[in-house]
Amino acid sequence: MVGLSIGEKHFIQGGIAQDIRSDGRKRLTPRPINVKTGVISQANGSARVRMGATDVIASVKAELGRPTALQPDKGKVFINVDCSPTAAPMFEGRGGEELSAELSVALRHCLLGGKSGSGAGIEVSSLVVVEGKICWDLYIDGLVVSSDGNLLDALGAAIKAALSNTGIPRVNVAAGASGDEQPEVDVSDEEFLQFDTSKVPAIVTLTKVGKHYIVDATSEEESQMSSAVSISVNRQGHICGLTKRGGAGLDPSIILDMVSVAKTVSEQLINTLDSQIAAAEAGEDES
Amino acid sequence: MEYVSPEGLRLDGRRPMEMRQIRGEIGVVDKADGSAVFEMGNTKVIAAVYGPREVQNRSQQMNDRALVRCEYTMANFSTGDRMRKPKGDRRSTEISLVIRQTMEACIMTHLMPRTQIDIFVQVLQADGGTRSACINAATLALSDAGIPMRDLVTSCSAGYLNSTPLLDLNYVEDSAGGADVTLGIMPKLDKVTLLQMDAKLPLDIFENVMQLAIEGCKAVATYIREVLLENTKQLEYRRGT
Repeated sequence: MVGLSIGEKHFIQGGIAQDIRSDGRKRLTPRPINVKTGVISQANGSARVRMGATDVIASVKAELGRPTALQPDKGKVFINVDCSPTAAPMFEGRGGEELSAELSVALRHCLLGGKSGSGAGIEVSSLVVVEGKICWDLYIDGLVVSSDGNLLDALGAAIKAALSNTGIPRVNVAAGASGDEQPEVDVSDEEFLQFDTSKVPAIVTLTKVGKHYIVDATSEEESQMSSAVSISVNRQGHICGLTKRGGAGLDPSIILDMVSVAKTVSEQLINTLDSQIAAAEAGEDES
Repeated sequence: MEYVSPEGLRLDGRRPMEMRQIRGEIGVVDKADGSAVFEMGNTKVIAAVYGPREVQNRSQQMNDRALVRCEYTMANFSTGDRMRKPKGDRRSTEISLVIRQTMEACIMTHLMPRTQIDIFVQVLQADGGTRSACINAATLALSDAGIPMRDLVTSCSAGYLNSTPLLDLNYVEDSAGGADVTLGIMPKLDKVTLLQMDAKLPLDIFENVMQLAIEGCKAVATYIREVLLENTKQLEYRRGT
């Protein structure tokens, strides 16, 4: 991104203070979201989300694996994000690793629960096949194709859409397996179980510029931010994860205020997302 | 295993001389100077071009021409089995080099001294022929960026299985162990810029297979020209003339 002049910086900050941003939006208005599902035919589920010039793809692949000894009745989920050099020249080679790592960790905090697996947004107990022996491992991969700010929200939306699009093949376990041996499994090619995403949260990032916070910042606005808080909220209005980025300190009362703002905004976002996902799936079924 | 049935149909129902369905679109990455998506069957590739811009590494700057750099990356989910290391492995490095050399031959680098042109190619889905799809996508992206070129560069692959020359191999046919010829040409100038082959072929059969690949490249070039023409018409329409 080319550097901004002092005049441009003042324009952005002044606009936000007066509730009119550079593209005409109000502070709490997000950009229109465009969702397409089923974009990667080789994956179990996939989605592509566009928010303005930000373009991300998420894919879900399911493989059979062994549950951990600590949680024999749960499947495993791995989330990984990669920043493609097509998004910015500085992501070439290993340049994008830092940002990819930051995004991956933030997504894991928001979507997968604590170390014991409690409080996870993604239901992992539905992924077990044979308790203690066989479970589904979900590999969720995010790819940033084009970056214009608000990558975390876009990736969260893409993962939610990809999970809605995911079909886990039905597995028939051969009866009569005993003790420590691995049971024979027959993975069906025909029947699929749709993954339940009603509890998957959506992520809302509030970026603080000057004295106000905005939803869905573009990369120019993000360059002016003092700090940002990303909150993941599910349909019930419960907070599933919280991450604060940026160097400036925030007063605790401001954080509480941001959280309540995020809850209202996330309600709209989840509704928009769900209707877009439903439309995308319906469109995909027809074609 | 039979790759061409007795009726003359391949595994996916194509005839031996038939290419997969191709689709190209310009301007998919807003932030890039030029970008394009190119699909050949199930192989899907995005190319983005940044440049001409100032050289980042002064020691590499060339005073009489532009520096062309290229990076080829595959997404984690692009292949059937999930890849663990999408960048930096030897195959990616080799393909980056191949694409760079192919595009450098056709870009008029002497018109832009002391600058750098970056071509980034990202594979979203790999089903054979990724090299060719990348070159075709890069050509479209360079055109979208307005970078002066001597000619388009188009690429296509061809092979030889069950005693039949086959055009545009997919992944299954590519891994069958027969010969795989990848060709890149500048259609108007009628010059070959890329020629790679693995496995072995008798010389007369090689000539047939190469001729088939040239036909494939010319077909891709016709399609790319249509896409560019349509894009120019749209630009003119938006300009209001």
